[in-house]
Amino acid sequence: MAGAVRCQARGAGLMRGLARIASSSLPIAAPTAVIGGRILQRSDFVTDSGFIATRQQCREMSTHVSWDYRGQRQMVPLGGRVPSMAVDAFVAPNVVLAGSVEVQDKACVFYGSVLRGDLNKIVVGFCSNIGDKCVLHAAASSPTGLSAETQIGKYVTIGNFSTLRSCTIEDEVVIGQRCVIMEGSLVETHAILEAGSVVPPGRRIPSGEVWAGNPARFVREVSYDEIAAIPRLAEGIREIAESHMGEFLPFSTAYLEVEKLKKTSALAA
Amino acid sequence: MGTLGRVLYTVGFWVRETGQAVDRLGSRLQGHYAFKEQLSRHRTLMNIFDKKPEISDNAFVAPSAAVIGDVQIGERSSIWYGCVLRGDVNYIRVGSETNIQDNTLVHVAKTNVSGNVAPTIIGDKVTVGHNAVLHACTVEDEAFVGMGATLLDGVVVEKGAMVAAGALVTQNTRVPAGQVWAGNPARFLRNLSAEERAFIGKSADNYSGLGATHAEENAKSFEQIEGDIERRKKVAQQSDDYDSHLGIVREKHPDLAFMDKSGSKGPH
Repeated sequence: MAGAVRCQARGAGLMRGLARIASSSLPIAAPTAVIGGRILQRSDFVTDSGFIATRQQCREMSTHVSWDYRGQRQMVPLGGRVPSMAVDAFVAPNVVLAGSVEVQDKACVFYGSVLRGDLNKIVVGFCSNIGDKCVLHAAASSPTGLSAETQIGKYVTIGNFSTLRSCTIEDEVVIGQRCVIMEGSLVETHAILEAGSVVPPGRRIPSGEVWAGNPARFVREVSYDEIAAIPRLAEGIREIAESHMGEFLPFSTAYLEVEKLKKTSALAA
Repeated sequence: MGTLGRVLYTVGFWVRETGQAVDRLGSRLQGHYAFKEQLSRHRTLMNIFDKKPEISDNAFVAPSAAVIGDVQIGERSSIWYGCVLRGDVNYIRVGSETNIQDNTLVHVAKTNVSGNVAPTIIGDKVTVGHNAVLHACTVEDEAFVGMGATLLDGVVVEKGAMVAAGALVTQNTRVPAGQVWAGNPARFLRNLSAEERAFIGKSADNYSGLGATHAEENAKSFEQIEGDIERRKKVAQQSDDYDSHLGIVREKHPDLAFMDKSGSKGPH
């Protein structure tokens, strides 16, 4: 009898572990699975925390809404990881900063980019800019033993549609459009990546070299003129960002519209 | 608008800022903290000082798209969800019956050191696929830019030419009429077949129709949307098969006709 109980307890632990691995609302296939002494039905769901819910409860718990009057929030804190933005940084209104993201002074993040520092930190350095529709993410750990944080130095220009994951970009680097930089890679000072290049995991792009292609290969050395032009390019983009900043008042007036909607009871107060 | 305009603009900014501050003060006194709620400040159409987007009345611009600065969009064109058209340092012209599909980015050259700032001109009946990047280039009439393609500065895609999916067309390349270019960097692949040529025109037609449908749906008010949900529920309970056996003829609401009409065939 005691053996049976122990067996059941072990089964429950296993199931809970499985439930944690699987995403939330996965239906349990076997109708006889046991969690916490309760026999699961086919219609039951197990959430991440091992909480068992019936289909009905799940529907009520669901956080999915088809329309939210607030739109997408720009800054999404995740527990203790809170995004921060310097006062003179430009972050476009449809950018999402989630988790520990630090946008430093004079940095600019343009339209439609996503900076998701949920597993590790993302830092965008002084006067650096991130183009439209970029994705910056940080993995939990890096394969090279380097920090798995995504660090972007000073005067870095990142082209549109680029994807950066757990990489370190040193100061004064130019990354072209649609580049993919995989985890653990290091792009050193004054390096230039041409458009469409893909840097595989753990690759180091040495200082003062131009790389291109998929996977990225050495093309040539950077000339002195180009090195001098890199910070000027970043500053030029900063000037453009300032013209965009002029279009935004420090507070939004959207709440006035929301109050109007609430008055007409189109929105539940 | 010259310097005087700039002065007015700046003073206007100060006045509005002060107005907002007074309003916030009033809200605080009233005990309303609604102004603290983080609401999205995304604007579909945004000016940059005096550079104002001009969209023709029957063009469709998705609410999640961002059209910024000096952009002109022609008749029956469609800008799909998540697109960014950024005409801040130069202008963007989009012709008529052109479709720029979801998540595409249209840019003009930013201040680069050599100072060659170029506009982006997209002609009539052009199809630009999802996730494409068009950077300070010219795309002539009835051209086709495949999904995920990148067109860099100074590229010219001539009339009726095609850039294949995922291609990266490097600086100052000319894609001649009637050719298909593909790869990274993009190279000549083959000539366009007659069938493909016909498809480009068809695709533009399909998309301007589809854009109109989306525009109509997106313009719906809260009450209309709720009404549609109810109507859809009612229709879901009915069976055409059952009705025809009993000889019942029911009227379909015109708002729900779209799904029935196209079914799974769908436009490309």
